Amino acid sequence: MSGDPFPVLTHGNMDADGRFTVSRNKTSIHLEGSAKETLEQGRNRLVVAGFLFAFCFVVLAGRLVGLAWSGIGTEEEVANIAPKKTGISQPLGARAEIYDRNGVLLATTLNTVSLYADPRKILNVDYAVQKLRGVFDDLNEASLSTKLSAKRNFVWIKRHLTPAQHRAVNDLGIPGLFFEDEEKRFYPLGSLVSHMIGYTDIDNNGIAGAEKYFDDQLAGKNGTKQAGINLSVDVRVQHALRDELAQYMSVFRAIGASGMVLDVTTGEVVAMASLPDFDPNRPKDYPVDSKFNKTTLGVYEMGSTFKTFTTAMALEHRSVSLRDGYDATNPIRIAGFRIRDDHAKKRWLSVPEIYMYSSNIGTAKMAEAIGPKRHKAFLRRLGLLDKPVIELPEVGAPILPPRWNRLETMTISYGHGLSVSPLQLSAAIGAIVNGGQLVQPTILKKNSDASVESKQVIRKQVSDVVRRLMRLVVEKGTGKKAAATGYLVGGKTGTAEKAVNGRYKRDALITSFVSAFPMNDPRYVVFAMLDEPKGNSSTYGFRSAGWTTAPIVSRVITRIAPILKIKPMDEESPSVQKALHIPIYSREKKHETF
Amino acid sequence: MKRTITLAMVIAIAIVSYIPYQLYYETQQLEKDLSELRRDISKNKQAIRILKAEWAYENRPEKLQALAAKYLPLLLVSPHQVATLGEVPRRAIDPYMVSTKAIPVPRKRPGLKKWQSKPPVRGPMHLAAFKKNNQAARIVK
Repeated sequence: MSGDPFPVLTHGNMDADGRFTVSRNKTSIHLEGSAKETLEQGRNRLVVAGFLFAFCFVVLAGRLVGLAWSGIGTEEEVANIAPKKTGISQPLGARAEIYDRNGVLLATTLNTVSLYADPRKILNVDYAVQKLRGVFDDLNEASLSTKLSAKRNFVWIKRHLTPAQHRAVNDLGIPGLFFEDEEKRFYPLGSLVSHMIGYTDIDNNGIAGAEKYFDDQLAGKNGTKQAGINLSVDVRVQHALRDELAQYMSVFRAIGASGMVLDVTTGEVVAMASLPDFDPNRPKDYPVDSKFNKTTLGVYEMGSTFKTFTTAMALEHRSVSLRDGYDATNPIRIAGFRIRDDHAKKRWLSVPEIYMYSSNIGTAKMAEAIGPKRHKAFLRRLGLLDKPVIELPEVGAPILPPRWNRLETMTISYGHGLSVSPLQLSAAIGAIVNGGQLVQPTILKKNSDASVESKQVIRKQVSDVVRRLMRLVVEKGTGKKAAATGYLVGGKTGTAEKAVNGRYKRDALITSFVSAFPMNDPRYVVFAMLDEPKGNSSTYGFRSAGWTTAPIVSRVITRIAPILKIKPMDEESPSVQKALHIPIYSREKKHETF
Repeated sequence: MKRTITLAMVIAIAIVSYIPYQLYYETQQLEKDLSELRRDISKNKQAIRILKAEWAYENRPEKLQALAAKYLPLLLVSPHQVATLGEVPRRAIDPYMVSTKAIPVPRKRPGLKKWQSKPPVRGPMHLAAFKKNNQAARIVK
């Protein structure tokens, strides 16, 4: 290059070659005609380009100054943005925790290591297998050696090692073995709240219980903001309930048990147990039937507890008054069935007597007077005929009879022919005792100031009468063993024969007891159920609900009431007596005196 | 004149290029510190999580019940044992106690025995369990 920029800038030097001459004289340049024009054009372009560049630089400089002044991109902001770029020691996505209503940890995520191998880098497969078997005695030798001789570069050997195993494998020093950081869900309370929390699979996806229902929220998946959850359960209450159920289950050699404590004003499930249960830390070690949540997924014919609904219905429709009653001397014969009483009195019974002695005959007659149509509508209003809604994936739909005529109304009136879950029963009883407000049960903690949606299902006065009736059952009727001094327990026993293959098994019972306390102003519903209890010497061989499940309720309430801040009351005090007084209108005495 | 300007320019360039260079290294150091801090924080967070899990595990009601049954003579709380703080009567202060408050107490004073704490009673003790002959009840008596 000659150092003369003009020919380059005019970009025509190939074409213009020789067209113009440049004199290297310092004083003057002689240009003629078109050559001069070309040069002028070049100069102009140079000036334009120069200005353009200058402008750009000025803009850049201005921008720099502006940034420095405005303070965009300060240290804090950079510090907040940085982790995404660097990715150093970010937790793997740490599934959020689950707490109980008081903040007790129920489920958390811990970091663990998993062992994998790159089979192509393993020098001596037999040696590696031998050594690994020394650390993990539960690994299968044959499958391990096929894994290690596979033509791949990644095989899992063992997920979630214990720290001791981690060190042991490290000490082996076998090339081709690698560790991967992983996370494992840990449930510190073991099987205590198993059915409610559920569990996750090995990749920490929720596959049961709240873990499944709130999977997106806990893991922050599918555009949901990650957040922990506070369940409505209180672990102290839960433990009392589970402990008592387990004890009585073994005392009466029952094959299963279920229980529930429900807050009647907010609908919060304070405790929910189903036995046998499992340890969510290692669900695979437990049989399949232990995963079955009897409280929400199981549906059972609840037996006499349904008489509460029948009585409430009769009073609600003003079909009977407390003075009225029915003749329960003889069993009812209908369509080849015989409806008889377990605790037969063989006389005329008033409505309070029908309820407290749990008379099937009287209740059936009471329901018959209402008729199938209104009976069905009433139970539907209480939510007993539809699948209940609760924040769990395991929810069972009730089993309705194929037809619902006179016979079905009569049997359902005392709890046979319609199967519902303990959850539905407890929620419906809650509505009956709390003044007629049906509240949606929930397993999530509600803030104390949150408004509760409810539906008026029966009149307040009816609720008041049924409450007294339930108290009567515990004071003088079939549920005497459920009494817990000071807490004014009221409830109803329920003994049902188990339906197996469409036939009732006389020797297999489902005994349940549904109660509420304190009866002058109910706060909690307590439900207990035993599956196939057997009588023993302490019950004189009886295995009905009054003998087997009522004591559970008594003990549970005595244990949980102080925890739930229910103050014990003097049961003999005039104000309590007045609040729970109910005339029985029995005609028994008259027969005797005459 | 021209030379001075050139010299000034050279010095200016030197300064201007040194400052970013210095800043760059400072930033790198800071970033290193930051990532170290982050690593520490996440390690501590993990440790906290483990400790919290352990706390919950060690405090599970099942275990507390077993421990209470072993070391405390506690039975099922009966209604007359439940009271609020307001219901507890204020204890009248013994004038004798007030007068002796400031006097150093000799080790073995006969009257002091009842205030000395008793060691926990060892032996087979159970929380009120479903048993006909309740052992715990016997021991309390």
